[in-house]
Amino acid sequence: MHQVEIATTQQALLDAPQMTLNMGPQHPSTHGVLRVILKLDGETVIDLDCDIGYLHRGMEKIAENRMYAMIAPYWDRLDYIAAVSNGLVWVETVEQMMGLDVPKRAHYLRTILTELNRIASHLLWLGTHALDIGAVTILLWAFREREEILKIFERQFGARLTCHAWRVGGMPNDAYDGFASDVVRFTDNFPNRLDEYETVLNENRIWLSRTVGVGVISGEDAIAIGLSGPALRGSGVAWDIRKSRPYAAYADMDFEVPLGENGDTYDRYLVRMEEMRQSLRIIKQAIANLPDGPVNAKVPKLIKPPVGDYYHSIEGPKGEIGCYLVSDGTQQPWRMRVRPPCFINLQALKKLSIGHLVADVVAIIGTLDIVLGEIDR
Amino acid sequence: MLAFLAAPNIINDLLLKFFSEQMVNYVIWPFIQVGAVVTITAGWVAYATYLERKISAFIQARLGPMRVGPWGLLQPIADGLKLLVKEDFIPENADRWVFFVAPYIAVVAAFVVMAVVPFGPDWAVITDVNIGVLFVLAVSSVGVLALILAGWSSNSKYALLGALRSSAQMVSYEVSMGLAIIGALMFARTLSLSGIVNAQGSDSIWFLLYQPIGFVIFLISGIAENNRAPFDLPEAESELVAGFHTEYSGFRWSLFFMAEYAAMVVVTAVATTLYLGGWYFPFVYRLTEAKGYHTAYVVISLIVFLAKAGLLLYLYFWLRWTLPRFRYDQLMDLGWKWMLPAALVNIVVSALGVGTLQGLDGWRGIDTIRSVTSGLGLTPTGKAIAIGFGVGNLFLTAAILSLINWRSRDFNLKKQRSKIRLVDLPKGKPAVTPVASSDIVSEARP
Amino acid sequence: MPLVPVPKPTLVHKLKRFFMVDLLKGLGLTLKFNVGALTDRDSVAGKGIYTEQYPKVRPDVAPRFHGAPRLNMDPETHDTLCIACNLCALACPEDCIDVIPMDVEVVVAGKPRRKKVLDEFIFDTSRCMFCALCQEACPTYCLELTQDFELATYSRAGFVWNREMLEQGRETVKYES
Repeated sequence: MHQVEIATTQQALLDAPQMTLNMGPQHPSTHGVLRVILKLDGETVIDLDCDIGYLHRGMEKIAENRMYAMIAPYWDRLDYIAAVSNGLVWVETVEQMMGLDVPKRAHYLRTILTELNRIASHLLWLGTHALDIGAVTILLWAFREREEILKIFERQFGARLTCHAWRVGGMPNDAYDGFASDVVRFTDNFPNRLDEYETVLNENRIWLSRTVGVGVISGEDAIAIGLSGPALRGSGVAWDIRKSRPYAAYADMDFEVPLGENGDTYDRYLVRMEEMRQSLRIIKQAIANLPDGPVNAKVPKLIKPPVGDYYHSIEGPKGEIGCYLVSDGTQQPWRMRVRPPCFINLQALKKLSIGHLVADVVAIIGTLDIVLGEIDR
Repeated sequence: MLAFLAAPNIINDLLLKFFSEQMVNYVIWPFIQVGAVVTITAGWVAYATYLERKISAFIQARLGPMRVGPWGLLQPIADGLKLLVKEDFIPENADRWVFFVAPYIAVVAAFVVMAVVPFGPDWAVITDVNIGVLFVLAVSSVGVLALILAGWSSNSKYALLGALRSSAQMVSYEVSMGLAIIGALMFARTLSLSGIVNAQGSDSIWFLLYQPIGFVIFLISGIAENNRAPFDLPEAESELVAGFHTEYSGFRWSLFFMAEYAAMVVVTAVATTLYLGGWYFPFVYRLTEAKGYHTAYVVISLIVFLAKAGLLLYLYFWLRWTLPRFRYDQLMDLGWKWMLPAALVNIVVSALGVGTLQGLDGWRGIDTIRSVTSGLGLTPTGKAIAIGFGVGNLFLTAAILSLINWRSRDFNLKKQRSKIRLVDLPKGKPAVTPVASSDIVSEARP
Repeated sequence: MPLVPVPKPTLVHKLKRFFMVDLLKGLGLTLKFNVGALTDRDSVAGKGIYTEQYPKVRPDVAPRFHGAPRLNMDPETHDTLCIACNLCALACPEDCIDVIPMDVEVVVAGKPRRKKVLDEFIFDTSRCMFCALCQEACPTYCLELTQDFELATYSRAGFVWNREMLEQGRETVKYES
């Protein structure tokens, strides 16, 4: 079943210079219920195998028995940290299959809130990554900023984490009164906070020794494995779906894509910190140029996309999240397949960890930014 | 207030009525002192946990314990009670008697050192042993034994490996800790801790000024000895469990916890004694003892000592909640390749300094040494020379350490970082709506 | 194993490295926070304490919050607004709603008619994912998700709410501080 051979005889156990270690599903640093089986020589990792499936809830199967509008809340529960982005994939897939024309205001609001969600997701990543490496304070600070974003989500959508943000054709409600002022207040405060995090971490010799040169992957290997998102950009590959296949209002936005050089943990850290700043830039532009108008397109009473299949993906905080939808003309999809960025990114774990020490494995899992909800679906 | 200050005299008179003077001086007072010190230390340890929670909360923009008692002040008591009533389980096939004994060894090793630490003059120190420093180093090393016993007796692969790692770490840093002290001893000319404080007091100087590097090495080694961040890898992640005290629960675990905090208090107390002048504070003697207020003198000195040790304790908390932790190999690297050479260089330079002072004394009318009765009493000229050596030591150590570690990868990390490139990629066209293709899906329901 | 070319460090860099300037910067920031926790009042933009001491302090819940469900009543007639159309049950992805109608006799314009009204309304909050699709489906604004988020009970049966509970709502136990 597993690729790691587990020694079973007494003699083999005594003779083996290697030790099999189980970083079990209950572990504070695996960001969910991930089981990693390590084969160690002293402290060095020689082999690694991931055992996933502890959070499998059968979402793709559930989706085959639900109507299109009812599937949207399930997408929030995939990558529960980036619920707003996930919801966006689904509604955009359905809208594009049906050829609906979503109004501009809805696109702009989607952009703003999705970028806020990207910041929230990266803040959680930063907090947990720093926590695993030992700087506990950053976690609490990052969650304080996240709290501000979640308050905005609560006032806009009604829920903080699993928002059920979008509906097919637009949004359920227009921006609430005070949305613009809340967002502007957030964008005013946030750069200082980012500077605070960077003061504590960026040049800290302990942080540098824990992250520089740890978990290196080259650009070619990254593309070969299928990495996406900051894990790919940290290795210097210039690929961002917001730029190459713009969706929502990204075509109108002016922003840059940070790229790393060495493909190590430190570069991915810097890439994500810079991405937060660029997201802030996008939010400022969008809120300044927010057009008026309706927030909903005309949607037929029953959502029945035409027969056929369609794949649409967006740049989520973790990478390219996509939806492959096969419709058979009825109110329920024939097949819905999620392209999970974390699942594909996790495949790089073995390549990244072999040769490093046990303490580095924790840092590498953190840098890949995995959420088990998406890996196991 | 004044009555409290007169209390020891009253108690002394009372006791002398019932017991002989020898009995009172050598048996009863020490018992009272020991009781007081143990109580105070235990209370200090308990409230150190409270302070840690509060300080960490303030650093993290939170409030910390607030519910139990006003401002959460009764939290340590609540924690203690909770731990007492927890289930006490022993792992299967564990070595029972070793398992029982290990926490007690840890606590004893940490608390016994309090017997020689000079909290104040006269009756505020339980006993002033001639070889105080040696005693401190020796007894605190016994704590390592407790670690190994705990890891071994837990009958768990992970606990054992964590314990071995932890003990290797502690042993490495003990070497540099011991060597760092030698510099201060050259100026104190005695191993007795009270004598060291007197040496600083009679000269009105802190040995910190003569031995900045020694102080830093001692503190860093002390933090590593206590398994506190940033050196807490054996405790925090060691083989993914809590290291040597994984299998301990309830009161036994709280003993390890108390031992850790008591060891912290020991290191801060010894650092205060050796480098920060102990209970000495300028003008206190003149204002109290010289005027005959003996008890007030002792009490104020006690408060001064606790304040200084408290500042160092704050440093512990501050470091833990700011810095990430070292990986194990980096930790050992630091201990052997940075701390040890620095400590050795410190000894050499301090010896050169003392030698210079002794040589210059009386040469061409320069007076450097005033007296050698309580420590190396120096004239202002002598003090200036000694401080000069201390500062020069900093730069010399910097040079030698960079020479030793010039090939180390970690040494040059900062320069490796170049700015992340910001790339403006060409924008594609927005995704277009598709044309329904009915030929691809062949197994769809009709 | 150095993976990038390592340039020669300058003297300033070596001194900064020795005097631990990078660590001291981080330590300075945390000290500012420590002091700020005691002095700064601004917790959003400044360094003040961010804690909201729940349950002593009730949190600010947004008006749109998806909380506990409630069946609204007509303010004048004190009759339920529910018309037993079953749209909420059909909209629910989790099948937590059970609308049980009954027929009553009414007289409309002199003629006796049978009208469907609500008999019993079962809402299983343990299966609910608070997506608010039911709230959106309701044509009469009867079913509403309120701001109540304290839904804990001591038994599984306590999660299944009937019409009475939905109409009257639950009393939040006021915390005696």
